[in-house]
Amino acid sequence: MNWKRAAIAVLAAAPPIALFAYGFSRDPAAIPSPLPGHAAPEFTLAVFAPGEGPLTRPLGDTVRLRELAGKVVVVNFWASWCGPCRAEHAGLSETARQYAGKPVRFIGVLYNDGAAAAREWITQMGGQSYPAVMDLRSLTAIDYGVYGVPETYIVDASGRIAYKHVGPIPPSVLRQWIDSLLPNATASEGIPRAVVR
Amino acid sequence: MIGLIAHNALLVSLAAVAFGAILTPVAIRTGRREWLQLVYGAVYTNFLLVSIAAVSMVVALVTHDFSVSYVAAVGSRSTPLLFTIISLWGALEGSILFWAWVLGLYSAAVVALHRRRPGNLVPYAVMTLLAVAAFFAVLLVGPADPFLPVSPVPADGPGPNTLLQNHILMAVHPPLLYLGYVGMSVPFAFALGAIFSNEAATNDWSILSRRWMLTSWGFLSAAIIAGMWWSYEVLGWGGYWAWDPVENASFLPWLTATAYLHSVMVQERRNMLRLWTLNLCVATFVLTILGTFLTRSGILSSVHAFTTGAIGYYFLSFIAIVLVTTLVLVAGNSERIQTKGKLGGAASRETVFLLNNLFLTAVMLTVLVGTLYPLVAEAVRGVKVSVGVPFFNRMALPAMVALLFLMGVGPALPWGSTTWADARKRLYPPGIAAVILGAIAVIAGARSIYAILAFAFVGYAAMSNLREFWIGMRARHRAHGESWPTALLRLIAGNRRRYGGYIAHIGVLFVALGITASATFRSEREATLTPGQTLTVAGHTVRLKNLWGREEPQRSVIGATMDVLGRNGTVIGTMEPRMNYYRVSDQPVPTPDVRSSIWGDLYVNLMAFESSGANATVKVIVEPFVPWIWFGGLVIVIGAITGLFYGPRGATAPAPTTNPAPNIGRSGTAPVLAPNPAPSIASADP
Amino acid sequence: MKRKWITVGAGVIVAVFAWLLFGGLEKNVVFFLTPQELLAKGTDGVGVPVRLGGQVKPGSVKWNAQTLDLRFIVTDGAREMQAHSTGAPPQMFRDGMGVVVEGRVGAGGVFEATGLMVKHSNEYRAPKPGEEAHEKYKTLMKQSSQ
Repeated sequence: MNWKRAAIAVLAAAPPIALFAYGFSRDPAAIPSPLPGHAAPEFTLAVFAPGEGPLTRPLGDTVRLRELAGKVVVVNFWASWCGPCRAEHAGLSETARQYAGKPVRFIGVLYNDGAAAAREWITQMGGQSYPAVMDLRSLTAIDYGVYGVPETYIVDASGRIAYKHVGPIPPSVLRQWIDSLLPNATASEGIPRAVVR
Repeated sequence: MIGLIAHNALLVSLAAVAFGAILTPVAIRTGRREWLQLVYGAVYTNFLLVSIAAVSMVVALVTHDFSVSYVAAVGSRSTPLLFTIISLWGALEGSILFWAWVLGLYSAAVVALHRRRPGNLVPYAVMTLLAVAAFFAVLLVGPADPFLPVSPVPADGPGPNTLLQNHILMAVHPPLLYLGYVGMSVPFAFALGAIFSNEAATNDWSILSRRWMLTSWGFLSAAIIAGMWWSYEVLGWGGYWAWDPVENASFLPWLTATAYLHSVMVQERRNMLRLWTLNLCVATFVLTILGTFLTRSGILSSVHAFTTGAIGYYFLSFIAIVLVTTLVLVAGNSERIQTKGKLGGAASRETVFLLNNLFLTAVMLTVLVGTLYPLVAEAVRGVKVSVGVPFFNRMALPAMVALLFLMGVGPALPWGSTTWADARKRLYPPGIAAVILGAIAVIAGARSIYAILAFAFVGYAAMSNLREFWIGMRARHRAHGESWPTALLRLIAGNRRRYGGYIAHIGVLFVALGITASATFRSEREATLTPGQTLTVAGHTVRLKNLWGREEPQRSVIGATMDVLGRNGTVIGTMEPRMNYYRVSDQPVPTPDVRSSIWGDLYVNLMAFESSGANATVKVIVEPFVPWIWFGGLVIVIGAITGLFYGPRGATAPAPTTNPAPNIGRSGTAPVLAPNPAPSIASADP
Repeated sequence: MKRKWITVGAGVIVAVFAWLLFGGLEKNVVFFLTPQELLAKGTDGVGVPVRLGGQVKPGSVKWNAQTLDLRFIVTDGAREMQAHSTGAPPQMFRDGMGVVVEGRVGAGGVFEATGLMVKHSNEYRAPKPGEEAHEKYKTLMKQSSQ
């Protein structure tokens, strides 16, 4: 073995590896969104599926983003016809339940879909802990620049969009963002409770 | 239930491959060679277990067992049976499972064919294959587990991606691609095995690996052509190649594999380029992994990027490990591997092979840089860009045209050296064909210099390669009085490797001709037609007859029936371009109709229609010579198969120290006589 | 001595190759911009090939089947841009969907598209109830079943 040559070879391998590693720090599928860092577009939408337990909002109640100021808001666009939405549903519902005692609100915004089909889908998926609202004529989706579903926006306490996720959102990503946005929170507090449950 | 069995099978297979990979060096270092039987047992066990998992998946798909996560993601009760089965490779997890199965198959074949060879080369190669298999096994029990239980069990699923269930070629292209891609691990394993076993300074490992490389190369060539065909038949734009990252990903290893198939001959004949050949072997494997990584991790956006996921980080780690390990091994041992052979003369076959390798590598680097540049630009300058088709055409075409020329020069020149006068005599006759074909192209209206040169060089190389057959046949005919067909068959049988290569050349020339002609002489028009109206493009006339709709279990179909009119206005055929609306997507999948003849295709695509049926907008493209591309792919495969089965099974015989170059006498036929200019004589060289 | 010259020669070849390669790249990259970013470039953005990414503004699609003229507005939520293309649209062209349009800004600030790329991805959408093909194209289905 000529270790000098080997070392040079390793140096040569470093730039491409760094380049690929960089590739993961961003989402190539996303068309650049002007939203992150900006104020989240306001919405006023009616609840069509109330949710469960502590997170329930009555049927027909109006959800205004403005009223949730001071809380971290997770806005998830979904539809019953969307295959990938199935993949993320359980994780979202469970994460919402874990953060129920925190200043965090989850809202499912139904996209291009009917209320009946969506309710049936929720039942079929084993329920949903947080409320879902109806976005008639997709006006809110257009405000947010939704390309397809699922897409998830995380809004911080000051009403700015902190993060936009395209495609099914893994619970780990969700928790990481929520924890980083919660004011002086002990990050892991929400999780052990779920384990006890 | 079936998911649980399969999942456990995969867990055990991970244990088996890890055990085998670790046991190999232990067995060799401690001198307990009998333990190697356990390693080989692990290879067979792994193949068995992965087969169980793959068969389980097919069963789960066919029985619509939606409790299995992969089936819930890609299955649907309304999808036809064939497309249900082939959705095994329609999405990420299934394709990784299929990959693992193909790798298991190749590994088992390597063990079955080579396990009796003495020395440590084969055990270390098997160890490398097992290490690669371990990576895929980790994916399958971790981030790409296709057998996760789904609860509650959905009643039905969305079905496979609509683009993938729209054409029968989806049953052909992916398996060929995987057979080609995964097969590249075998030469790589032999290359690393040679370094581990200190046999890299001989030519043995390349003699073992070149057939595997040729096999994979044949599959990969067929896969690329099938992929072009699929794109042509499904995407509806009338083209077959767009320099998309996914297409490039399959083309990159093909280029290095092609370079390898040529340089390995120089290595054997002239004892040159051993380190270079080893590098090509390794590069080909790294490029297949890179290709998979680029397309499966979603790191580059592409029209074909069907799947993304957390799996990217695993691929990143794997690529890093592979790159660092191989670079350390190859660079660290480079002085020992280097060869001292000398170039014979300037006008010799090896010079042409060197140039061939230079151009193939240049094309590879160009395509690689163009593919990765968007990533570089974003990392360095923070801008989102894409590299346009003009870049690839402008940068890669000149080198590809030069390669066409070299394909004509190489076969005509002998190994070693020759005089310039002799070289001129050999290179002169194909020149006439070049002038004729180039002139025809100019008269037909070709104006681009590359197109004219490409036509001329296709003529040149075709004449040159065919002449090799002609000279050999004539010699046999004269010497033995054999009939012409017998002479041809015996000629090929006598030196399969060489003539297999020429057949593959001719296949490539068919492809090149088809591409050049269809790119140069394509004509197209679009128009909105009411029933009864006609549209004429380059002498071909179609008439809209009517527009119709049809319900099928998994989709709705809207189609236009078009009459194809002959010269005197009679109907000579009908075409039915369609638009397929699958239940899961509101984006229809265009389904153009293609009418082929030997001179080219009439391609009709339905672009838009009035929902009342009052009119339809169609695009009609006349594409000369496109079927020649598909036919050329077939010829390439025939060439690869011919070259694969040469001579007796000498390659697995106990450690030959000299080069067992194919010897014509061996197969029982008489050697070709003197008029044959080329290497049947030189092949006796050590 | 000879070895040295070979090294120098190889170095020159590699340098020329790299120069050609990156020269070619600089001339042929196509920037990927949203309407907001493209408009921010002002006159610098005119006549340069770009890929414009955004959503098709609902209600903005005008398609003339006779002249094969397609006009629509691409929006990114912040700004919007008129786009025009000749040649039939893919039938898949629909209000509110994500598109990538290749072309350049012509005189008059209209984006002249040479290619429309509809984004295919995992996030496909199923048709809304009532918008499924077999309902939308009922007339066609009925005619041919008779």
